[in-house]
Amino acid sequence: MANRKDRQRFERMMLGHLDAAYNLALWLVRNPSEAEDIVQTAYMRAFEHFHTFNGGNAAGWIMTIVRNTAYNWLNKQKRNSNLISFDEVLHSSGQHTHSTANEMNPANIVASHASSVHLMEQMERLPVEFREALFLREIEGYSYKEIAEITQVPKGTVMSRLSRARGQLQNLLVEQQKRKQNRGV
Amino acid sequence: MACKELQQNIEAYLDAELTLSDRRDFEEHLGECQDCQAMLENVRALNKSIQKIGYVSRPASLRRNIKHGLRDITGEESSSFNLNQLLGVGGASAAFASLTVWFVMSFMVGLPMQVQLTDELISAHVRSMMADHVTDIASSDRHTVKPWFNGKLDFSPMVLDLKDKGFPLVGGRLDYLQKQPVAALVYQRRAHVINLFIRRSDQTAQTSAASLTQQQGYQLLSWQQQGLQYTLVSDLNAKELQEFSQLLHGTGH
Repeated sequence: MANRKDRQRFERMMLGHLDAAYNLALWLVRNPSEAEDIVQTAYMRAFEHFHTFNGGNAAGWIMTIVRNTAYNWLNKQKRNSNLISFDEVLHSSGQHTHSTANEMNPANIVASHASSVHLMEQMERLPVEFREALFLREIEGYSYKEIAEITQVPKGTVMSRLSRARGQLQNLLVEQQKRKQNRGV
Repeated sequence: MACKELQQNIEAYLDAELTLSDRRDFEEHLGECQDCQAMLENVRALNKSIQKIGYVSRPASLRRNIKHGLRDITGEESSSFNLNQLLGVGGASAAFASLTVWFVMSFMVGLPMQVQLTDELISAHVRSMMADHVTDIASSDRHTVKPWFNGKLDFSPMVLDLKDKGFPLVGGRLDYLQKQPVAALVYQRRAHVINLFIRRSDQTAQTSAASLTQQQGYQLLSWQQQGLQYTLVSDLNAKELQEFSQLLHGTGH
């Protein structure tokens, strides 16, 4: 049974990652009060399983538990609603969805000027797995290998998710930009 | 050309995931391929704007709630007072011993604390009507009342409107009991005002049956649900108050 010493050790190692944990949960479930509940639940679960933590990467360990808790919640929601299920199409190397350089030029302008709010709006339209990969890569700065460990998929899947996430996000931003221009004319 | 193949390295290059030799090959190619340069700049710009999103700040209550929850798991008191230390024993026996002491103490200390709480609850109820300050947020719409508590409490109170059962919601109010902020929901039954106080429970039991107390002509009905303590206070008769508590109780949230 966990005692005071365990708790203090746990707090020392894990409470420092609370911002990362909360923001990850928020990116995944997109609802502040649910994100808060998820992080709270995840931390309680983590403490109950603290004896299984091997002393390695504390941030990665707690993030794994947070994202698993978030996915449990999302799956429950999915059963209750018609959340679009993301069909993971393999990660074969030919699947990258880059458009040509010319087509991507407008996106360049959009991307470099897109406010965080607009970007987040479009981000929410991506499959949850894509948002997760982007968060872990761009906000947290994890390597492919670390992301693979946290999200429990092969490294190739991480690469393909990131690539498709960026491709789709660019396209969404271009569309958004076009809509704005049309309205402006 | 080799370009198509190398294009796929753009992201891995930016993500610093290429091996040294792949990196060298790619940079060499980049020097002579404008298409790849343009694409690289696109992805780089996108990455930068994603990075700029950064963190939003977490609710202040989160850290506190987690620390509180951890102490619940270890069975520690939330104060600095620690039974294990006091007893000077370790491991499972300490946990058992502290549990025993906790039970004994709750019998000794529990009673006066309960009396004190009852007094406070009645005072809060009376005060709410005397000062003409029944509600901070007057609304019969639970979707207005519930969010109003956001950021004011470290839990989210259950808000139900039972108008169709003859207990319309009047509004909500923030109150302060036993040194902690509590939610007060105000309902009405004919001319009777009912205060429903919801606060974080300090008991270990997650759920308990309702218990009735009568004092100074007021009825108090208390129960625990999902780690929260609910207390109804009103001058309404006990029977109807029981009925109301069952409506609140039974529906979960």
